[in-house]
Amino acid sequence: MTTETLTRPPVAPDTGGRPRPSKWIWTWLYAGAFAVAALLLVVVGYLGAGIAGGHVDWMELLTESAWSPTNSVFGGLAMIYGTAVVCALALVIAVPVSWGAAVALSEYLPPRLARPLRMCVELLAAVPSIVYGLIGIMVLRPVISKIADVPGGDSLAAAGIVLAVMITPTIVAVSVDALTAVPDRVREAAYSLGLTRREVVRSAVLPPARSGMRAAVLLGLARALGEAIAVFLVVGRADGRLPTSFGEFLDSLSHPGQTLTTKLAGPEPVLAGTSGPYFAAICGLGLVLLALVAAATVWGTRGRDRGAASERPLKFRGTARLRQQRDRLVMTLRLGALLLPSLLLVGMLALLVTRGSSAFDPSFWFTSATGAAGGGVRDQIVGTVLLIATTGILALPLGFGAGILIGIHASERTARVLQTVTVILGGAPTILLGLAGFVILSTTMGWGRSWLAGAIVLVPVVVPVIALTTSARVRSIPAELTESAMSLGLTRAQYVRSVVVPYTWPATITGLLLGLARAAGETAPLLFTATVFFGAPMVPSGIVESPVQALPTHIFTLSQDSGDPQAVTQAWGSAMVLVLITAVLLSAAVALRNRFEGERWTT
Amino acid sequence: MDNVITVRELRVRSRDKTLVGPVSFDVGQGSTTGLCGPSGAGKSTILRALVELLPNGLTRDGELQVLDRTIAPGKGDADLRAKIVLVPQVPVVFGGSILDNALFGLRHVLRASQGVLKERAEKALEEAGLWKEVADRLDSPAQNLSAGQRQRLCLARALALEPAGLLLDEPTSALDERSRDKVEQSIAALHGRRAVLLVSHDPSQVERLCDTTVNLDQPVAASPAAAVG
Repeated sequence: MTTETLTRPPVAPDTGGRPRPSKWIWTWLYAGAFAVAALLLVVVGYLGAGIAGGHVDWMELLTESAWSPTNSVFGGLAMIYGTAVVCALALVIAVPVSWGAAVALSEYLPPRLARPLRMCVELLAAVPSIVYGLIGIMVLRPVISKIADVPGGDSLAAAGIVLAVMITPTIVAVSVDALTAVPDRVREAAYSLGLTRREVVRSAVLPPARSGMRAAVLLGLARALGEAIAVFLVVGRADGRLPTSFGEFLDSLSHPGQTLTTKLAGPEPVLAGTSGPYFAAICGLGLVLLALVAAATVWGTRGRDRGAASERPLKFRGTARLRQQRDRLVMTLRLGALLLPSLLLVGMLALLVTRGSSAFDPSFWFTSATGAAGGGVRDQIVGTVLLIATTGILALPLGFGAGILIGIHASERTARVLQTVTVILGGAPTILLGLAGFVILSTTMGWGRSWLAGAIVLVPVVVPVIALTTSARVRSIPAELTESAMSLGLTRAQYVRSVVVPYTWPATITGLLLGLARAAGETAPLLFTATVFFGAPMVPSGIVESPVQALPTHIFTLSQDSGDPQAVTQAWGSAMVLVLITAVLLSAAVALRNRFEGERWTT
Repeated sequence: MDNVITVRELRVRSRDKTLVGPVSFDVGQGSTTGLCGPSGAGKSTILRALVELLPNGLTRDGELQVLDRTIAPGKGDADLRAKIVLVPQVPVVFGGSILDNALFGLRHVLRASQGVLKERAEKALEEAGLWKEVADRLDSPAQNLSAGQRQRLCLARALALEPAGLLLDEPTSALDERSRDKVEQSIAALHGRRAVLLVSHDPSQVERLCDTTVNLDQPVAASPAAAVG
């Protein structure tokens, strides 16, 4: 037997440098963060420039109710009143129902039922607002007109109800998240002390979940404040007078009104030009709206970690029998509250499927529209896909960079500031994005209506969603993983490249899909910047003056012509197609999330 | 001596198979009974079966009697849980002060003035061996307590209900030696006054504290994670 000496292959001499130092990573992360800040600055900046370009009488804008551009009278109080009434009505209806439903979903239903139902609620929360608007105009308006004896049924009440329906799924979904974040051992500890289910929920589960549930309401409120399209279709858009007595107030509910967003979504911003007092007043209204939404969003997302330390001392609440009866009563109420959103879901599905049945005919997908309201919607589908694909390509690197930077804390303060900026950008009313795009891209840069302008205007809708999902994922990186990586001598940049990015990208893709699902249904930003109702080629050539047709704006235009049965059929069909597209994007996002982030649907 | 808890042929099953049992045992008035076995034998599951807090999808059968009341499977309620109180393995501290926590269960089941409630809380804290350490800061947040103090606070919270029996699930498993000794002293002090069913994987602890021992030998594949639906 011979012995061989095994020799190692020679090792290349140590060059002394680090392989792949990845310094470029920082450039990318800061570029992303800078883009987020710049986008918000652009929106605020154009409003500011507009205000500076003409004299705004803030006293008049905030305290006078008459709005008459021909007489140079710009009072916005009636619109602020309209916004307040509509949002208050929406909250009064939506909050009790949503909270009850959320508690029922997370505390009462067995997981077998709660899981699919929770998924449905999340799907419902992503239904494009134009679809809610369509339902409002086709279903709700006739009912209101019959009850309140208003011709047409356009009214503040109708707008409030549509908004309530629209924000209920959002509030339920976020509240359920807050409730399921309470660990089961807390429930067990309370049950094992002899509490009834109602008492367990009230004393052990709600206190830690309360701030999250309050945040859910504020997020819903932000959505209601910023919603333009669904309200536009049912509110009647009459510059109203302010009520002076309670009777007049009640009366005003059943009459047409105007809100801040509907004023901005109407024809006036286009008529106002791009400078002068008229435009300045419009920009002033926009700034008021942005401030309201930003306040609600920031208030809603901060201070989640504050514990519920100041709990009111509970007094004893009755005998054993009374406790049981109360337990049963509350259970009935909560399950009843759950019934409403469930019925809503079933009703909406039934409406869409029966009225939008043309969407199940393949020729509807693959032929282009003929005449005013005939044929299929091929061009609109292609246009929508083109818009959101371009938006996705533009938004992905920016959102990813910003999200990672927020997550890994360049410094605690930058992260906090950046997070706030991202949240505000995410909550910015999309009508304002559309107006900014109209003023900057279409008018100043002379693009006219352009698909690229539309895609750019949608970028601020998608970027915050990507950034926030990404940063949440970065924060969930186990501390040991970071510690081990750093103690092996990686630089920060190498740590980002080898640990953070591989760990995070699935969440980023989820965020991208969620954001695109939202962008696909956006109507307001596209109206002035990118789309025409008819006559654009299927695929645009060039950038300047090359509009597309898109599904949401198609539905929007058709639904304003609700007297024409053919237009109505076409609108429902298009809505069904849009919902299907959104649902596909969303299911892909949910599937990805479950695949990569572990089972999330646990109750 | 009367039994507080009587268990005959108790089984815990999922839809298609038996996960734990059958076991039979008694817990007498004032006695301390140990429930021993290797990890995964279903010790915690049995405790949860007694108070109807099994994870979703698991059911109990067999006979269960608490004091003079026979509890049919699925019929356990809040009243039962106030009579034999489960103290989970990981101490859960609710928001609010130490006093709030000590009264967390009691204020739901007893109609009494604040003064009486407070008196009961003090007594319970004393019984759990925590009184001396917290007497001067009853109104400070309970979250600031150490792990050992939290465990004894959970014990006090249960004792405040003046239950007939206590079900202790590995009360010292997460504690260092000194805290463990303190908790063990508190448990030993209950002897003769309360019926205690103590789950432990530490034979020497059972030796120190218990009069009788129930051994669970066959490991089963039950997941101890409890979910209350």
